Amino acid sequence: MTAARRGLVGFPVAFAALATLSLYRETMGFPLFYLTLLGTMLFWTAQATSWNILSGYSGYFSFGQAAFVGTGAYATAVLYGRHQVNFYVTVLAAAALCAVLALVVGGLAFRLRSLRGEIFALLTLAVPFILSALAHLNSAIDGGQGIIVALPPFPAGLGGAQDYLYLVSLVVAVAAVWAAYAIQHSRFGWALAAIRDAEDVAEGLGVATFRYKMLAIVVSAVIGGVSGSIFALQIGFVAVTGVFNLTVPLFVIVMSVLGGRTHWLGPVVGAVFVTLLQDRLTSSGLADWRLIVLGGVLAVLVVLAPEGLYGRLRAGPWRALAAFAVVTLGLRVADAFGEVLDWILIGAFAAVVVAVLPGRTVRRDRTAERQPADEKPQEEKPPEQEQADAPVGDVLVECTDVARYFGGVRALDGVTLRIGAGELVGLVGPNGSGKTTLVSLVSGTMRPTRGTIRIAGRDIAGLPPHRVAHAGVARTYQVPRPFESMTVRDNVAVAIMFGREPCSLPRARVAADRHIGFVGLAPLAAARPTALNLHQRQLLEMARALATNPKVLFLDEALAGLTPAEIDNAVEVVRRIQRGGTAIVIVEHLLRVVNQLATRIVVLDKGTCLADGEPRTVLRDPAVVRAYLGKRAHA
Amino acid sequence: MGTTRIAIGGSRARGKRLVTMLAAGTLLAATSVACEQKSGTDSGAKASNKPIVVGSTLSLSGAFAATGAIHKIAGQEFVDRLNKNGGLLGRQVKWLVRDDESDQAKVSQLYEQLITQDKVDLIIGPYATPNILSAMAVAARHGYTMPQHTAVIAPLMTYNCQFPAWSIGPKPNEYVPNQLLDAVASMPDPPKRVAILTNQNGSTDFVSYGSGSDKTGMVSIAKQRGLNIVLEQKYLPTTANWAPVATRVRDAKPDLVINDGLGVDPVGLLQAMKQLKYQPPLMFSLFPAPGPLLGLGDTSDGLLSVTIFEPNQPTLAKLGPTATAIVNDFKTRATQAKLPYPVFETQAAASWNAWEILADGVKSAGNLDQKAICDALHAKGADTTFSGHLTFDPKDHNFWPTTLAIKQIQNHDWVTVWPADRAAAKLRSPAS
Amino acid sequence: MDTLQAGLTGVLAGGLYALMAAGLSITWGVLRIINLIHFGLILLGAYLTFQLASSWGIDPILTLVITVPALFAAAAAVQWTFDRLRISELSSLLISFGLLIVIVQAVGNLWSADFRQLTAAANPYATRSVSAFGLVFPLPTLLAFAAAVVLIGGAHVALRRTFTGRALRAFAQDRAIAAAFGIDHRRIGVLVAGAAGATAAAAGMLFAMSNALTPATAFEWFGTVFAVVILGGIGHLLGTLVAGLLVGAIGAVVTVLLSPSAEPFVLFSTIVLVLLLRPQGLFARGGTR
Repeated sequence: MTAARRGLVGFPVAFAALATLSLYRETMGFPLFYLTLLGTMLFWTAQATSWNILSGYSGYFSFGQAAFVGTGAYATAVLYGRHQVNFYVTVLAAAALCAVLALVVGGLAFRLRSLRGEIFALLTLAVPFILSALAHLNSAIDGGQGIIVALPPFPAGLGGAQDYLYLVSLVVAVAAVWAAYAIQHSRFGWALAAIRDAEDVAEGLGVATFRYKMLAIVVSAVIGGVSGSIFALQIGFVAVTGVFNLTVPLFVIVMSVLGGRTHWLGPVVGAVFVTLLQDRLTSSGLADWRLIVLGGVLAVLVVLAPEGLYGRLRAGPWRALAAFAVVTLGLRVADAFGEVLDWILIGAFAAVVVAVLPGRTVRRDRTAERQPADEKPQEEKPPEQEQADAPVGDVLVECTDVARYFGGVRALDGVTLRIGAGELVGLVGPNGSGKTTLVSLVSGTMRPTRGTIRIAGRDIAGLPPHRVAHAGVARTYQVPRPFESMTVRDNVAVAIMFGREPCSLPRARVAADRHIGFVGLAPLAAARPTALNLHQRQLLEMARALATNPKVLFLDEALAGLTPAEIDNAVEVVRRIQRGGTAIVIVEHLLRVVNQLATRIVVLDKGTCLADGEPRTVLRDPAVVRAYLGKRAHA
Repeated sequence: MGTTRIAIGGSRARGKRLVTMLAAGTLLAATSVACEQKSGTDSGAKASNKPIVVGSTLSLSGAFAATGAIHKIAGQEFVDRLNKNGGLLGRQVKWLVRDDESDQAKVSQLYEQLITQDKVDLIIGPYATPNILSAMAVAARHGYTMPQHTAVIAPLMTYNCQFPAWSIGPKPNEYVPNQLLDAVASMPDPPKRVAILTNQNGSTDFVSYGSGSDKTGMVSIAKQRGLNIVLEQKYLPTTANWAPVATRVRDAKPDLVINDGLGVDPVGLLQAMKQLKYQPPLMFSLFPAPGPLLGLGDTSDGLLSVTIFEPNQPTLAKLGPTATAIVNDFKTRATQAKLPYPVFETQAAASWNAWEILADGVKSAGNLDQKAICDALHAKGADTTFSGHLTFDPKDHNFWPTTLAIKQIQNHDWVTVWPADRAAAKLRSPAS
Repeated sequence: MDTLQAGLTGVLAGGLYALMAAGLSITWGVLRIINLIHFGLILLGAYLTFQLASSWGIDPILTLVITVPALFAAAAAVQWTFDRLRISELSSLLISFGLLIVIVQAVGNLWSADFRQLTAAANPYATRSVSAFGLVFPLPTLLAFAAAVVLIGGAHVALRRTFTGRALRAFAQDRAIAAAFGIDHRRIGVLVAGAAGATAAAAGMLFAMSNALTPATAFEWFGTVFAVVILGGIGHLLGTLVAGLLVGAIGAVVTVLLSPSAEPFVLFSTIVLVLLLRPQGLFARGGTR
């Protein structure tokens, strides 16, 4: 865990360096107002980081940051300001309250299977309104006029009130960023990234998405609430309307998105940049133009670098630093345009301009390592599989009288089906016959209206999809859905990390390479999914599914849209997987393929099982010919 | 949700490089700050001929901006006038005013900035009670003396060196109700049925319901005086649709509607009631925006409110030519700034008071030492053009004996009507 | 009686919410643009109405002759730019937030931050009303209600009946297929956004007719308007209309029966419930968007 060790060294060093600015302020001649400005940056850094852990990492956009800030500030104001409870105890209380609030919001929102990101966003928009309305309705809690929050007593050695506030904010901000750093470099962070990229795919690969989302919202809430407690000290007077307002959530979003949402440093960059910009605009004579400039900068930067400044800076760090240094020092020497903070700001702008403008082409270059589409896969030994687990012939999947209705539509109506270990079953049927519904039911993403499904003898009723995955079911998607933010190798590694036997990233990466080699994608292991063609993306789907070490693998139209050569290659891979001992169900309507591959064919029509048996027998069945082939012939 | 994403897992080396680069950038910034400091120290020494800088924020945008604009014009006028008459302690005065966007968080940041970064010599308060309280916290941290324009919740104003420019005495929650109810009781047919509508903003809620353990307020005093409270409603500061409240008022048939409200609350209420073909016989509004009410024409005629100053002819005649000149100058400036209601009244007078308190404190102290100014004000008080001589007793949180009066809209203009000795016209009873 | 009267005025006032929300909802649902500028356009519409009516003495309703084309053009231009730059849903939210604060500050600089209100002389509608069945129908809200029903209802019918309308619905459901059928998404996008801009002009005029204006008002609309968009279902016009009226009625009835302070609590709790139980909105029959 080199990342963790780097954090263990880096963050205390950063903390010490920043704390020194306050503790030895007078010795160093560090002016107080820079400390105040830094303190403001720290507050926003903590808030933006809090937001980012939930919304940036997991992709669930929240407009409700004010709920956490407000709850934290309000709790401290009521307990400490009004009832004289020890301040530090109220910080803990604020954290606890926010955690409970997060559990309620997350518990309500994330339980919804059909929850779309925008619905979550709107839900969180409503939360601060509800909380502030509740506080207004129960104005006896705060007395109705708001509460004065004085500074608690602090050791004289810390310096003045500003130093104390700065140091408390520093502790919170460093802890927040450290948490973000640690999360990003842990299984937790990878789980959130997978959720952001393709949530149900992640769940299907064994990631316990609900748990990780809940964890993310709780961590986010605790940081937001603690920072809110400090905020109460900062503003000195807490009234309901002041702390639950919309400004905080909007600025937190602006900062995180400007900085970059997917990296722990993004919100830090955004918070520092926006705070400095605001500070300079306020200090300049352009008061009437402040919001106009700020709004304009926001709009332009989002257009030019929608993924955030951090990504752009990362693409060419030294050029950006050079621009910053040249412009800042140049202005310093020329002594033009205001004072040192202005020079820093203009320098930062120069760095941003340099990073953003030519950045469009630079980033593409890295994915240039494209491969010919139909490269022959190297014949390799299949990765270690639990063959002993299920001797050929054992029943792996057992559906008994399974039905699934959507309102009045009977997508599946009483299907009974068994799939044994080592089989290669073709599941065919015209569009709308219920094939995909059946796959969803067996992989646990849908619940049957009636009937039972057993995987390796275990009833999966009530199991969340990731547990079904752990039980041994894997699937691929008709339209491949890789985790776009990860390399091919990491796509597969995630599946291993969150498999039946959880493991760390380095180990998972080693194992991932075997699976990638197995499907013939080894040369592309470091590429991004965007650089892959359809066939390669399908192979990636297979490698990823295989990496969960499944007992049975469902391939949903895995051959649709491929060229004949690509189909031959894919068929070869499928055969190899089967030889490894995994049972395979090919969901297809390409009869040529099914005929050629499958040891058994199951035909679905209008939600019922029309035929089940040897390919030759089934294809000669008159009912099948009428229902399936007849239709296709006309189509 | 998003479209483009940066890789997390990608090249660690690149990430490390960027961290290094950011660190280098920070170091560079810190170095230039330190260099700047060395070069900066020698220039600040000889100060005697430099102007005295007064710092403050005002809500020039956001929710409180409507009134913030008035304070900006009044303050600028005061500073110009002061400088024309030789400034303060023989030095010119410069006012550094920043926009706090009606946001408390901004207020405390900006006051910190003004005191530590701009190193202002003096400060004066912002506008609106929450903002003033946030500024007061900063002033207290730095030991600055802070006259403030409009916060009247005396129990909350605990800082020893804040000086209110608008005082309703130490107990506004008793004073306002009693003054209002005294005034209406003097009418030939005094109201018996009252409706009390309260904005859940700090200061308005305070006047209706008291603060902390002191539950005295408009509601309890009205009851105590034997009035029949036919309707009692609290509403949120964000209320926009007044029809439902208006309906309830209409059906409660009060003789007097007491609206402990703010800004354009009474405008919305009156319009909504008028739409229901109802006009209350008599209505009082606590802290309304004066202009929009006059725009309502006959609908708002007879409305009562509180004031510390209205530029009525008799009042101005009593105060003399200086006051008249100030009032007229304000009108010119406010018209230039496109203010829709360019009249020097309560808000502007409070602003003027605050500036006079500051200037008088400095004069009495003879220097710019914050403690000295604070002590001088406690010892000698301050002279103001519009509220006379003020005395500050720390026991009452410096809230001086009030000069609050009741004003009324008569013939489309505000006039002071109560108490009789300060009235510019007679209190008019509802036409029955 | 007062509950009935309050409910009625609430429903009428809800027309304005519906009108404000409709434009936001349709650009969100059809164009996948969360256009916060819409609030800025309503604000501009209100201030333009104020200015034209105050300085030229034009009847507030007649100011629409100027404001509707102006805001149609402004909104269309914004959409054209968004389309050219291929702005995603998320980016549109941030960019339009940036532009909204630009508009709010610009309005403040132009008209000052102080309250601006049409005087009784310039605005004969503010205090008028119509009586029927023992109930009072305040004129400004009655106009808002009528405008909402006519404009939103009209747009709904147009969507069902005209070729452009059908093209639009196809576009909302599947862009690729719509493109394959030769539907010019750019033209449609500009048209829809322009129409939304036109409703902003109407909403602004109606708001100015019965309220005092300050630039910060734009932010105060956020809560209620988003509530209406959600309740109605994103991109669902009739739903938006009904939701607007419902929100107005809920607010008014809660005010009368409980307390004005309880209104946002009830309203936003309802929204949370709706989001949890019917995330597609109260009135959408799944997949209409």
